[in-house]
Amino acid sequence: MTVVIGFEGSANKIGIGIIKDGEVLSNPRRTYITPPGQGFMPSDTAKHHRAVILTVLKEALEQAGLKPADIDCVAYTKGPGMGAPLVTVALVARTVAQLWGKPLLGVNHCIGHIEMGRLITQADNPTVLYVSGGNTQVIAYSERRYRIFGETIDIAVGNCLDRFARVIKISNDPSPGYNIEQMAKKGSQYVELPYTVKGMDVSFSGILSYIEVSGLLSCPTLMPPSLQETVFSMLVEITERAMAHCGSQEVLIVGGVGCNMRLQEMMGVMCEERGAKLFATDERFCIDNGAMIAQAGWEMFRSGQVTELEDSWITQRYRTDEVEVTWRD
Amino acid sequence: MAATNAERNHETSQLEFSLDVPFPSPREAAIALRSLSPDREPRKSGISKHLALTGSTLTAKWSADEARILRVSVNSFMDHLTLVMETMEMFGPPATQ
Repeated sequence: MTVVIGFEGSANKIGIGIIKDGEVLSNPRRTYITPPGQGFMPSDTAKHHRAVILTVLKEALEQAGLKPADIDCVAYTKGPGMGAPLVTVALVARTVAQLWGKPLLGVNHCIGHIEMGRLITQADNPTVLYVSGGNTQVIAYSERRYRIFGETIDIAVGNCLDRFARVIKISNDPSPGYNIEQMAKKGSQYVELPYTVKGMDVSFSGILSYIEVSGLLSCPTLMPPSLQETVFSMLVEITERAMAHCGSQEVLIVGGVGCNMRLQEMMGVMCEERGAKLFATDERFCIDNGAMIAQAGWEMFRSGQVTELEDSWITQRYRTDEVEVTWRD
Repeated sequence: MAATNAERNHETSQLEFSLDVPFPSPREAAIALRSLSPDREPRKSGISKHLALTGSTLTAKWSADEARILRVSVNSFMDHLTLVMETMEMFGPPATQ
């Protein structure tokens, strides 16, 4: 029996989760929400996390019905993400690991998403589309690494959607992407927008500039459905390309943008056409959470990995393929 | 805790700031040190920070080119130190080894 506690806070969500042998015992989370028209800045986000993290930690233990002595390993997000929030969370993880006398494990945030997706959906060996506010990658497992087959060459798809939400000043509660999705459901007209797939990769930084310059913002309700259709089609295309390369029959969508039902629908159509199966999780696990870090930590710990305190520094840049996936053959 | 005022070292023309933080025991001071030392200073030039232990006291020493750089680093450190101390208060004392 192995019990791992995971700490996550690389963006505006701070979550702490506890996993025991594949069972999520607790997964409380708080989100730092900024006023409409504003994004979240590193030092304010860190301040938010500092204010709530110990409360969330208490909740995680209470909801799991556990005492610190019951924990076997303390996992935390080593990176990638925003510097100040990452440090805040790492500080608490390091401190409790020492107070409780437990080993520490630095986890790659992207791999946290993948391992949680695998656990919840039981997908065997899927092509993974990881899409969030900070990341957009198509990943496939091969020979002890999660290899990046395609990715954004500039900003993440979620970043594109979030910035659009800021420009039209819609609410960031519960998240800008969710509100864009609700607006998109009400529209049916499609306006053509620039479609930028570059081989295995995608680009999102130009599409917003185009929207602003073309005067399309004069009718803001027209944009959400067209923007979603365009960016999601791009994602479906590069996912399909990776599937063709790998001969894969499974797709797993992870990351906050993975909550979007229209994206799941469009990916589902492509999968059906290829006779492949689509896997996705709900907002508890799509959106950044502590349990996903605990789950990746659980896998790493059981395969013999540990992070020494001196090596536990956080890093804003941490490629998914930098980690040796010792827990899979 | 005690702090000396920021002084300019006339030989090196660096501003120097020193902070002493007492803890209830050497073990707790060591825990704080090991939590606070792994992360690198975000700004690579113009500031250096050195953490050390003397018994139950954690000492932090800064050397900076300019006052505003010093202020930013010391402010961050104070936020981080406060968080570590609050964590130790809430989840301490350290488990017996």
